[in-house]
Amino acid sequence: MTVDLPTPRVGPLQDAAPKPMRLVLNWGRRYSLWVFNFGLACCAIEFIAASMARHDFIRLGVIPFAPGPRQADLMVVSGTVTDKMAPAVRRLYDQMPEPKYVISFGACSNSGGPYWDSYAVTKGVDQLIPVDVYVPGCPPRPEALLHGILRLQDKIAAEQLSTRSYADRRRLAGAVTRPAVQEPGAGATRVPVAPVAPREARS
Amino acid sequence: MAGSKKRGRSLVPGLMKGMATTARTMTRPAHTQQYPDVKPDLPPRSRGVIALLAENCTSCMLCARECPDWCIYIDSHKETIPAGPEGGRDRQQNVLDRFAIDFSLCMYCGICIEVCPFDALFWSPEFEYAELDIRDLLHEKDRLGEWMPTVPPPPALTAGAPEATEVAAANKPARTPRTRTGPAAAGGPDAAATAASPPARPPERPPAADDGTAP
Repeated sequence: MTVDLPTPRVGPLQDAAPKPMRLVLNWGRRYSLWVFNFGLACCAIEFIAASMARHDFIRLGVIPFAPGPRQADLMVVSGTVTDKMAPAVRRLYDQMPEPKYVISFGACSNSGGPYWDSYAVTKGVDQLIPVDVYVPGCPPRPEALLHGILRLQDKIAAEQLSTRSYADRRRLAGAVTRPAVQEPGAGATRVPVAPVAPREARS
Repeated sequence: MAGSKKRGRSLVPGLMKGMATTARTMTRPAHTQQYPDVKPDLPPRSRGVIALLAENCTSCMLCARECPDWCIYIDSHKETIPAGPEGGRDRQQNVLDRFAIDFSLCMYCGICIEVCPFDALFWSPEFEYAELDIRDLLHEKDRLGEWMPTVPPPPALTAGAPEATEVAAANKPARTPRTRTGPAAAGGPDAAATAASPPARPPERPPAADDGTAP
C-alpha cells in the first residue's frame, strides 16, 4: 500500500523567523550532513580516503553512515555518470528528503571529463540534478573534497529560509549555459597588420 | 561443556592480545590531518592546478593541440612592431588575447606543461578552488597567472648526475682559432679563418661497399 505524502516544506511562518532562529537552523544543518556516496568510478576511492582516519570528514560533521538516500542530506556524486546510470542518479536524488545538497566530485561528474565526447557518458551530473559545489580534479585530492564540504557549509550558513523548495530555487544545470567563446581580440587593442611590401621596395 | 571450556580457554589469550593491541594504539597519537586548520604537506610534484606565465607564452597553440580533453582555449592576434633604425623592417609578433583552461574538464595529465617549449605553464600544488558555479571553473588568463606565485621551485638536481647537455654546451669555452702553432701564425686574418674552418669532409664510400650482399 502506498500513501502519497506531500513533500515536506518549511512552514510559512519561517519566512518571518527571526535571525537567531535562522542561524540555529543553518548551524544545525551545516554540521550534520549525512552523506550518501554515489561512487561510480575511481573518484569514489578518494571519497573513501577522505572518510577514513587520515582525513576523517566526520570532524566537519559529515557522517558517512546514512543507511540510504532517504536518510541522507548530502549526495556526493564521484565518478563517471553514464546515460545508463542517469535514471538511477535522478531517482536516488528524488528519494532524498529536503533540504538536500549535492557535491559533484571530479572532472567526470563535473562535465564528463575525459569522456566528454563519448556517446554513453552524461556531460556532467548537473544535467540531471542541481549541484551545489563542483570539486575539480581528476581525481581531486581528499583535501579537495574537504574544501568542497567547507564551501558547501558556508553556502548553507548563508541560506535564507523560504517556503519554496530548496531544489526549486536552485538553477538546474541545463540552464547553466556557458558564455560563447570570446571573439578574438575583444578587449585588446588591435594594430592592423601592415601589408607586405613588394620585393623590389624592400631591397 | 567441553566445547565451552575450550572456548573459554581460547577467549582469554585472544582477549589479552586484543587489549594489548588497544593499549599499544592508545599510546600513539592519531594520524588524522587537521586539514582546514593545518595545511597538508603535499608530496613533491603534486598536481593541483596549472599556472600560466603569460609573458612566456607565444600563443604557439602546442598545448591546446596536444590537450587530450581540448580544454585549453587560446586566442591571439598579430601585432606589427615598426622598423627601428634605418634599414630595418617591420616585425610581427603574436599577442595573447585569451588563455583559458577549463578545470571542470581538465584531466591533469600535464601534457600541456610537457610540450610547452617556452616554459609558460607550470604545476602548482594548490587544490582549493572548488566552485559553486561550474562556469567559475574556467580559469582565464589573469586567474591562471594568479597561481604563478604558488609554483614551487624546481627540485634540486641529483648529486653526481651528469650535467645537462645544454648547460655543458653553454659552459664550454669558446673555440680559439688554431693560429699559434701553424705556419700561418703570422698570416693575418685570412689565414686564421682558413685554419679555423672545419676540415674537409672525408670522401663518401659507395653504399654498396658496406654490405657484401650487393652484386
